[in-house]
Amino acid sequence: MTRSNRSYLAGFLVLPAVAVVVLAMIVPLGYAIVMSLFDFQIGHEASGEFVGLHYYIAFFQDDVALHSLLTTLLFTFVALALELGLGIGIAVLLTEMPKRLSKLLRAIYSMPLLISPIIIGLIWRYLYDPTFGLVYQWLGQLGLADEFGGLAKPASALFSIIVADVWQTTPFILLVVTSGLSTIPHEVYEASRIDGAGFLRTLFKITLPMIGKVIVLVTLIRGTDAFRVFDIIFALTNGGPANSTMSLSIFAFKKGFEQYEMGYAMAISLITMLILILLFAPLVKRSAFMTRD
Amino acid sequence: MLGKSSRNLLKAIVLALFGLWTVIPIWMVVMTSFKRQKDIFTVPVKWMFHPTFDNYAKAFSNGDFGRYFMNSGLVAVTSSFLAVALGTLCAYGLTSFGMRRSRAITNFFMLGKLVPAVTMLLPMFVLLHSVGLLGTYVGPILAHTAVNLPFIVWLAISFLKDVPKDLEQSALIDGCTKMQAFRKIILPIILPGVTAAVILSMQYSWNELVFAMQLTNMDTYTLPVGISRFVGSVSIDWGKSSAAATITMVPIIVVGFFIQKYLAEGTTGGAVKG
Repeated sequence: MTRSNRSYLAGFLVLPAVAVVVLAMIVPLGYAIVMSLFDFQIGHEASGEFVGLHYYIAFFQDDVALHSLLTTLLFTFVALALELGLGIGIAVLLTEMPKRLSKLLRAIYSMPLLISPIIIGLIWRYLYDPTFGLVYQWLGQLGLADEFGGLAKPASALFSIIVADVWQTTPFILLVVTSGLSTIPHEVYEASRIDGAGFLRTLFKITLPMIGKVIVLVTLIRGTDAFRVFDIIFALTNGGPANSTMSLSIFAFKKGFEQYEMGYAMAISLITMLILILLFAPLVKRSAFMTRD
Repeated sequence: MLGKSSRNLLKAIVLALFGLWTVIPIWMVVMTSFKRQKDIFTVPVKWMFHPTFDNYAKAFSNGDFGRYFMNSGLVAVTSSFLAVALGTLCAYGLTSFGMRRSRAITNFFMLGKLVPAVTMLLPMFVLLHSVGLLGTYVGPILAHTAVNLPFIVWLAISFLKDVPKDLEQSALIDGCTKMQAFRKIILPIILPGVTAAVILSMQYSWNELVFAMQLTNMDTYTLPVGISRFVGSVSIDWGKSSAAATITMVPIIVVGFFIQKYLAEGTTGGAVKG
């Protein structure tokens, strides 16, 4: 086969995948950028009124919008911190278990990862139910049931959602960190033990630095997912009570599909993407993605 | 400083507690799905009870559940086969032909990880509406394929890198064309990984809510959308919802056990090895 035939073949192989992504992502994105400058009704896009950057300015003057930005940031950082701490902690403990046991435990631990977010919502609404939920039953035994508002009170709703999110996504961090840890040669631990380093010292001076890139990678993947959070909030509170769990994605969704302000909704969702890229772009360079070859 | 044996005990307790924390919520739903109405609302929670299949019968008889199940299957199978077929071939094209822009195209797929679902959904909804395809399978299949593609491409590239170059080279010397070498030599080697990729994409599509919810209609709802309609109503029918949830999550959890090895690799697009 000649050289040019081969490059035709390569193009032929690559093109369909690129085309699908362009059709389903790039075209809608471009369309959203244009239509976010218009005040229009669905089905009457052509007769929309050009409003320029009105919606982008409106976002920064809209209290609900700014509050949902804050809520999204809070959710992202708290959830990420808890999930990283718990996930890395359990992963480190697992490395010291016999191989077969650690494999079995990992399989059990990863179950929540495989469950649909809407079912996660169902499960946790059941657990948080004030009359017969397990959470209240157990808090009741500790005498704390009255103090915890669960999903029903603005003060505790976001935290309650974070708990459910931690439940579902910590296994992801656990799995990835475990595979990162498995690349550390055993001699490293031997050497540190001979040097008389204790558990914590080994952890912070040797283990964590050696899997630094993997941690950056999970932070990147989990962080971007958390910042886009939609499903779990939709399933648990749909933004309420009193907008206390309104994330940017939920806010954009509501504006578009409940209040039919499509132009504004698109502007909100584009601002969300922009902030996400600004927040996480610095991590992309440092993650294992870019340096693996 | 704790002694070695008490430290090991402490570790075992922590791991066991984390296991309980993981399993109890799932167990609660499975248990509820087999409970009679009067056993569901007891305080304290009943761990032993007389099991019944009533909730399952109810979910299937008046919940249109059979249809949701078929719709979910159709969307998941179609979109994941599309994503894996296109993604694997694309990865082969990018890695094995010395293409000039392969790096740029690979990075282009990274963009997919940064677009929030809702950012994609809003314009997609308007566009599909204007071409009259809203409510058909086209919307969720297209969306799920596009969301899965970037990570399949990355994953397949990492599989292909593990295949020794000599194997393809000697096949080419023996007179195979590029595509024959791919089909006969390379594909069999990466097949376990590709299978895992199919399952992971199916799992995403099977569970996905927001595209499936907004781009379909009553006839094309998938399982998560069906469940969201049970859950969304003012008073939840816990028995029926739990039965529906159990049917939806058990198959995917069982399959998950078989691709355990690939979960870490799959969810990071091959950036770490399982």
